[in-house]
Amino acid sequence: MAGMFAGPQEMMGYSFNTAPTSASEPRQHSFYPYTDNGGSTLGISGADFTIMAGDTRSTSGYSINSRHVPKLFLIGGEGPKNKGARIVLSVVGFAADGDALKEKLDKEVKMYKYQHGKPMTVSACAQRLSHILYNKRFFPYYVHAILGGIDEEGKGALYSYDPVGSYEREQCRAAGAASSLIMPFLDNQVNFKNHHIPGSGEGHDLKPVVATPLPKETVIELVRDAFTSAVERHIEVGDGLQMMILTKDGVEEQLLPLKKD
Amino acid sequence: MSSPFSINGGAAVAMVGKDCVAIACDLRLGLQSLTVSNNYPKIFPYGDVYLGLTGLATDISTVSDLLRYKVNMYRLREERAISPQTLANLVSSSLYERRFGPYFVSPVIAGLNHKDGKPFICGFDSIGCIDFAKDFIVSGTASDQLFGMCEGLWEPDLGPDELFETISQALLSAVDRDALSGWGAHVYIIEKDKVTKRLLKGRQD
Repeated sequence: MAGMFAGPQEMMGYSFNTAPTSASEPRQHSFYPYTDNGGSTLGISGADFTIMAGDTRSTSGYSINSRHVPKLFLIGGEGPKNKGARIVLSVVGFAADGDALKEKLDKEVKMYKYQHGKPMTVSACAQRLSHILYNKRFFPYYVHAILGGIDEEGKGALYSYDPVGSYEREQCRAAGAASSLIMPFLDNQVNFKNHHIPGSGEGHDLKPVVATPLPKETVIELVRDAFTSAVERHIEVGDGLQMMILTKDGVEEQLLPLKKD
Repeated sequence: MSSPFSINGGAAVAMVGKDCVAIACDLRLGLQSLTVSNNYPKIFPYGDVYLGLTGLATDISTVSDLLRYKVNMYRLREERAISPQTLANLVSSSLYERRFGPYFVSPVIAGLNHKDGKPFICGFDSIGCIDFAKDFIVSGTASDQLFGMCEGLWEPDLGPDELFETISQALLSAVDRDALSGWGAHVYIIEKDKVTKRLLKGRQD
């Protein structure tokens, strides 16, 4: 390191090829403020629960920075540990932006409770997150966010976002590096896309299977299958699987191992 | 998006089952986002061995015709049908011949070995490197989606009917998440003395 800052009289050289002099040509330097930290997340909502999941690997290029960097965050709740929180935010993309976004949303949900004396609803939190993202429309948070909770009717709620705040409530969503691998699997197994009732007609008269909310145990199995599949075929996904299961009783967190290769 | 591999779009997949193999493709032909045809199959029979070709449409025609010529010449000279393993090596050497000006195709082969009846599938890159897989091979613009589907649905020793359901669900759900593939599918189930070809309608959008 010392060499980088050493003067020419020490014959150590600079990090660039030649020492700049007042007569040298103009040099172009660049700074790109974003990195892709890889990884994948997904969320599935059921009749009275929502499950959020994400792998815990953090990468830059072909390097693994860490095997345990969570992408799921509790929002609201009491104190720095967010005790009693009922909303979960998952962020995948640029981890630093994800952290900043989490901090901002968490602060605002806590301020809401402080000022109004009641916890924020999931739908209100969802719209607030959209505004936070759009506020940085021209220097965006480089993340795909998914927000999960239980709505005012006690049903599982799931909202997904693009980096500039466009959002939608959905039954399931995969985001991040392996989203293209996981999303069609979820279409097929959660929303029963391309499933038909046998013998209900010929060709397009076949009646499609109507998607009904799945039981919690089935969804947990699907999440594990989705991630073990993604780990096999995507190098940026692996190490650990962090799952948060949201019910009316609160949030249960699970950490399962994934392949580390 | 101007990669020669993704101008026309398309997807193909092959799977191994118990004493059977399956190969399937979508039917779309496009020019970037414009769909030109919704009946453009990408699987070609060479005797009872099947070849799926995705990539640049002009090269799909050229390569499939070139291989038809070569396989016909093989049959005349050898007086026997070509085995899937031999076809794999023929495809590989034909592609490597164009090492510095390749055909922009990603071929997939499926068949049963003539002598022992063992299932055989393999895939190639555009310059002929063979991928001998024991489970499944995917290719085309929906290859990411196909990897996710196949890795999630496939299991060892599927019978012909289960294999048909598995490969069909894998292909249809995969192409529904790819704008450049879809518009129905062809599925071949290859058994010892029977080949079943089915035409799937799928989403028409």
